[in-house]
Amino acid sequence: MKKWLMLLLAVMVAVVLAACTTSGSSDSGEQNDGGEEASGGEKVLKLNNGSEPTSLDPPIGFDSYSWNVLNNLMEGMTRLDESHEPAAATAEKWDVSEDGKVYTFHIREDANWSNGDPVTAGDFEFAWKRLVDPEVASPAAFLGYFIEGAEAYNNGEGSKDDVMVEAVDEKTLEVTLTAPTGYFLHVISNPAFFPINEEVQSENEEWFAEADSFVGNGPFQLAKWTHDSELVMEKNDEYWDADTVKLDKVEWAMVNDTNTEYQMYESGDLDTSDIPSEMSEELIDSENVVIEEQAGTHFYRFNVNEEPFTNEKIRKAFAMAVNQEEIVEYVTKNKEEPAYGFVSYGFTDPSGEDFRDKNGDLVEYDPEQAKQLLEEGMEEEGYEELPKVTLTYNTSDVNKSIAETVQSMYKENLDVDITLENTEWNVFLQDQKDLKHQLSRSSFLADYADPINFLESFTTDSSMNRTGWSNEEYDELIQQAKSEADEEQRFEYMYEAEKILFEEMPIFPIHFYNQVVLQKDEVENIVRHPVGYLELKWADKN
Amino acid sequence: MTKYIIKRFLIMIGTVLIIATLTFFLMHAIPGSPFNEERNSNEVVQANLEAHYHLNEPLFIQYLIYLKSIATLDFGPSIKHPTQTVNDLLGRGFPISFELGIVTILVAVISGIILGVLAALKHNGIIDYLAMTIAVLGISIPNFVLATLLIQKLAVDWDIFPAATWSSPLHMVLPTLALATGPMAIIARLTRSSMLEVLTQDYIKTARAKGLMPYKIIIKHALKNALMPVVTILGTLLAGILTGTFVIEKIFAIPGMGRYFIESINQRDYPVIMGTTVFYSFFLVFMLFLVDIAYGLLDPRIKMHKKEGE
Repeated sequence: MKKWLMLLLAVMVAVVLAACTTSGSSDSGEQNDGGEEASGGEKVLKLNNGSEPTSLDPPIGFDSYSWNVLNNLMEGMTRLDESHEPAAATAEKWDVSEDGKVYTFHIREDANWSNGDPVTAGDFEFAWKRLVDPEVASPAAFLGYFIEGAEAYNNGEGSKDDVMVEAVDEKTLEVTLTAPTGYFLHVISNPAFFPINEEVQSENEEWFAEADSFVGNGPFQLAKWTHDSELVMEKNDEYWDADTVKLDKVEWAMVNDTNTEYQMYESGDLDTSDIPSEMSEELIDSENVVIEEQAGTHFYRFNVNEEPFTNEKIRKAFAMAVNQEEIVEYVTKNKEEPAYGFVSYGFTDPSGEDFRDKNGDLVEYDPEQAKQLLEEGMEEEGYEELPKVTLTYNTSDVNKSIAETVQSMYKENLDVDITLENTEWNVFLQDQKDLKHQLSRSSFLADYADPINFLESFTTDSSMNRTGWSNEEYDELIQQAKSEADEEQRFEYMYEAEKILFEEMPIFPIHFYNQVVLQKDEVENIVRHPVGYLELKWADKN
Repeated sequence: MTKYIIKRFLIMIGTVLIIATLTFFLMHAIPGSPFNEERNSNEVVQANLEAHYHLNEPLFIQYLIYLKSIATLDFGPSIKHPTQTVNDLLGRGFPISFELGIVTILVAVISGIILGVLAALKHNGIIDYLAMTIAVLGISIPNFVLATLLIQKLAVDWDIFPAATWSSPLHMVLPTLALATGPMAIIARLTRSSMLEVLTQDYIKTARAKGLMPYKIIIKHALKNALMPVVTILGTLLAGILTGTFVIEKIFAIPGMGRYFIESINQRDYPVIMGTTVFYSFFLVFMLFLVDIAYGLLDPRIKMHKKEGE
């Protein structure tokens, strides 16, 4: 009988424990319900940022985690519009000098900070000089190098006063560039160029660290920021174009697991979600999927200093033996565009033609020609047998399946056995920079929307080169494109440069990136820019 | 006793210092840098960043700077989250991991012991088999599988609990269940086997012969001694669970400190690696120390001061 007493005790403990949790739960349940009722008339968009923003200090937070938030809390001189082109924002209008080097921005009268202060030219001068201040150590500082004197200040040779950004008066900013830069208005739409309220900064150097002290000038203002957990933005009534903004509130979760994100989307806690990779086949064709372009390329790098890729024909053989379309169709299954050039779609030249269409397919899948090129190349080098080839990728499921497919394509099309090797991300990057790989997986995401940003990667001294490849003519063309005022001529240089890149083939492309998201029916007009940040100014939820 | 505690404390400090030093040099021996990016990164920009975080100094100087940071318990700003210091990150994450951990441990220990005792008392009976089936399942199902399953069933399909994030007691239920099942199973098995052993001891027979009430025999005489192995593993278990778990916190989007252990290494965020390692090792040796003290309380045969006296 006493044994049963023991059991009874155990059951009681269990019941009490259960009661504790349920009583706690019903409390919070009521709170939740109450909250929803109160917000019945409000338009609240629920998004996931994936992680805590790195920093909301504009020149420091140089990644999409920071940009998604920052781009909606602040605004630069220009803002990318719905068609991803720079449009007047804090600047109402601007004048460009004859030689294309001097920009004079006129800030609109009603541009205000969220604390009511007017946005001044001085705020921009302060922010842009701060961007290239070596002490601030901004990872985005190189974007400021377009401005005369900025590079010298950043590398410690020049002084702050020589950076040619000047507030002529309260509302007029004059900037002198090192060269006519047709895409300068694109570049300054990047969050790194957002203004900073100088007065706020001088009172509190860490104004961007908490919601209470954050002062922005964008469509939304920061209402609440629970670090690592949640961030809430509310419509900013001080914003000059507040009438356009439809949402009352945006709640950002910071869920770093795609499966969880998807489950939260399913249970109604989120309005958009990425697709978990193992479910892409099932979900990619559903009607709630939104697919947007992203300016970037998934590609493979040869190391032209390592045999057998010292030989151009062998490089071409390896490039032409890969069937991009098959990879996109059967391996990544994410509706990407297969890539036959390096510059992605979405950049129109002055004649209105898309860069990619105009320059055409610069590498084609052709197993027969690949086989022949391989033979010719081996003969040129005097190889009886092809030196061992190792393909290296950073550890990830997708990279692995692409690499395995490439491996089998080489076996089938070239009758070459290659070895696969994977390393941890950071080790991989270090080895790639030190040219320790033979053939390696790579990716490029554009910092600003111009083909030059893609192409400048492969100049001899670019830290993005990582192939050992160097071509004087190519370097020259990039240099010319960077200083050319005539847009038509500038595009000619870039077309020519890309052709040279593929004639010598130090790299070969796999696919262009895209952004695939699931989105609830009632959500509309979220703009996802190809350069990687999210725009909620026009977003609505019904 | 005091002398013993002081001695143990000094050993603890020494252990932490050795761990910290090893970690420092190992961490710098891994190839890579916190500023390695796939994207184009200008050399001047890199140099400015390195100077900003003293990474351009000789390793030995960096080591001294780091020792100073341990001594002052100020690890400086995180490299990857530059507007926050390591102390901020730990100060914010640890209480959350701790809260989840304490509830988990309570659930695991209480239900584990109950299961174990029941199984031992009903040795080879239905309850025993049932309890041990639960225990084997608990040990063999990885917690991340259980977590995903719980979210899918209890949150998405049946809508009883919220799927993820951390904002109310209700949000604690699923992660607690996912985390507690494994330790509960281990504790249940340990309790059962040592209970079985203790129950055959002479003093239990004596107690029974004296006519003591069975529940008194079990709780006061048997269980107290059977708990020794449980206490042993509790030290490591506590340190592990209270400082957060990477996978569960990631799946449930819990803003604890578990993620920093993994992310800081992937990102080569040196100050955060050092901060988490020192914190964790200190916490671990402290827990082991508490366990040793608990031995003395549970088992009178272990006398701290006697050891000292010899």
